[in-house]
Amino acid sequence: MPPGKAVVEQNRILACDVAALQAGVRPWMKPALARSLLPDIAILPRDVEAEQALLDTLACWAGTWTPRIRVVPHTGLLLEIASCLRLFGGFEHLHDAIVTGLNAQGYVVRSAAAPVAQGALWLTLAGESGMRFDRAAMSRSLDSLSLSALGSELPAECITRLNSFGLSTLGEARRLPHSALTRRIGAAVMRELARAYGEVPDLREEFAFPARFDLRLELPVPVDNAEALLFASRRLVQALAGWLTARQGGVRECSLMLEHRKREATLMPLGFAEILRDGARIEAILRERLPRLELATQVEALRLVADNVLALPGHSQPLFGKDGAQAAAMPALIERLRARLGEAAVHGYAPIADHRPECVSAHAAQGKNGSAGIVPAARPLYLLNAPQTLPERHGRPHHRNEPLLLLAGPERIESGWWDAGESNSDGRPSGDMRRDYFVALAPDQRWLWIYRECRADFDKGGGWFLHGYFS
Amino acid sequence: MDAVPLATVLARSDIWRGDRFADAALPAVASGFAALDRELPGGGWPRGALTELLCDGGGQGELSLLLPACKQLCADDGWLILIAPPHPLHAGALAAAGMPLERLLVVEQGRDKKELNALWAAEQALNSDAPAAVLCWSMQADSKSVRRLQLAAAAGHTAAFLLRPTRATHESSSAVLRLRVQAQAEHGGTLAVDILKRRGPPLTASLHLELPRPAAWKSHGRPHHTTSFTHGTPLARPASAATVARHPSGLAAG
Repeated sequence: MPPGKAVVEQNRILACDVAALQAGVRPWMKPALARSLLPDIAILPRDVEAEQALLDTLACWAGTWTPRIRVVPHTGLLLEIASCLRLFGGFEHLHDAIVTGLNAQGYVVRSAAAPVAQGALWLTLAGESGMRFDRAAMSRSLDSLSLSALGSELPAECITRLNSFGLSTLGEARRLPHSALTRRIGAAVMRELARAYGEVPDLREEFAFPARFDLRLELPVPVDNAEALLFASRRLVQALAGWLTARQGGVRECSLMLEHRKREATLMPLGFAEILRDGARIEAILRERLPRLELATQVEALRLVADNVLALPGHSQPLFGKDGAQAAAMPALIERLRARLGEAAVHGYAPIADHRPECVSAHAAQGKNGSAGIVPAARPLYLLNAPQTLPERHGRPHHRNEPLLLLAGPERIESGWWDAGESNSDGRPSGDMRRDYFVALAPDQRWLWIYRECRADFDKGGGWFLHGYFS
Repeated sequence: MDAVPLATVLARSDIWRGDRFADAALPAVASGFAALDRELPGGGWPRGALTELLCDGGGQGELSLLLPACKQLCADDGWLILIAPPHPLHAGALAAAGMPLERLLVVEQGRDKKELNALWAAEQALNSDAPAAVLCWSMQADSKSVRRLQLAAAAGHTAAFLLRPTRATHESSSAVLRLRVQAQAEHGGTLAVDILKRRGPPLTASLHLELPRPAAWKSHGRPHHTTSFTHGTPLARPASAATVARHPSGLAAG
């Protein structure tokens, strides 16, 4: 079992993990007592900034579900879901999806839903989960809340004073005459109460999605393990997906930076076959790429940056005919193959109109139906990158020591003086050529495409070459 | 346990009587060769299943055999994925054969010749159920990898073809259809196709398929009928020359 962890503020334990709980450590203990219960416990100071950064990351992620989010500092997130319940198939489905999503990122969640934001927050803090559909039900639940459960929301002296009157729940306090209660606990606290019950409007600012996605995630311990990196990067990727949903955009590329101590960060650019905002697809690429990454040293933090956001409107499902699911699967497959085998190994063809047969088959990331040039005669389906020399005996070309039978030809192909001396991007031979092509039949009944070099200045001085197979 | 009547067992799609084709044949796509379609259960290449083609080296005619079906699958917005072809393909010839190039994807074997990558790619393609047809060439596929591919193919609707060397003829295989393909000199240079395994009665005779060829076939036996070309003799004028660009020296002379 791993040694437990606890977070301390003002010499009191604020929170601890499951391992520590099992050893008997409880919140509000002194660190010394916790150490006596669990000698190996790691006691960390509370990092308020990190908590806020985490809440901001989660707010981006929550963009998947709703565009209206409020970050309650150091406490939690408020999501406005009334307007999107129908889209996600009702409260149960939406709630399950949100909780599952958070659990998958490694978070433990407490939640409650109510018609008033502040009311929902108080119910959550008091551990009263579930959905209250109307205000009456919410008010009933709030009335029964114990005042001590709202320690983080109400001033401590106010709770002590109310307790000294013999009041222990919110409902009991609210049954007192309004003016008398105001005099005793102050107008500010009364305003908070009214806000929780939805009696006055809540005008606090909503979360503004950042204009540019650039989130950093500090890892709790330095890691060099692909599995751990994948888990940590999932938080950032999910946040990116949510942020993109809220902006109704997508990305064609983004970059993950793996930061090290005292070293330059390792940059990992991620490219996609189409504009997308699907977190699962970005994760699938990371799953292929991260285990193959060679790291100089351990990773201390991850940073995900997406600069170029492109518009990606939602698409409608067809009413009749085939669904778009199969068409959508193809770009995902291409990305997966490219992530493992490399960009160059997975390609289509974009033919170029050229007389020289080896110049026609240009590789392209996405194939397209170009004009395949003038195809005056049959061309072989297999065309060798580098023609093979064929020996000539008794005036006939030989392949594997057997004479070839010439069935058609010659077809003169003579072209390309304009780029003589240059090799094209694939490194294939090009330039000036003068060849006579023949269709030949090998004794093993394979149909070959061979040519005879006619250029006098050719360094090998003519000769026969095998250039392709008809298949 | 209750006894199951024999008729119920025979009605299952994965059980067939040895003397006829499986009753509930897999959905199929016509091969484009009537003689072959007659002998294939379902009347064509099966979809959602693995077909094994045994042929030695590229160039026997295996592409011409498969292209009509691939063309048909691609015409319906499907993708064709070619994995680890034995030689580079010629886009011009594919386009001339009617393949829509924007729906064609080639996965190269890579320089390190890692066969596992080809089989991995084929399995990924079949698992995604995204492409309409997958052609995978593999020299080292064994019965275990064939089984994996068959299981992956059976879960989707892709027409899957695995091309292996003929030395695998006597290995056991989970593919639902196995054929051996060989270009031959007998029967006028047709393609000999032996159906080694199908969901139906065994076929003892070979099929002889006429493939589109670039020229009329001639027998190899009579070498004296052909013209011999040597360095000394002047070459005949090109029969059908491509548009010839003028050579700069020609321009200067003219």
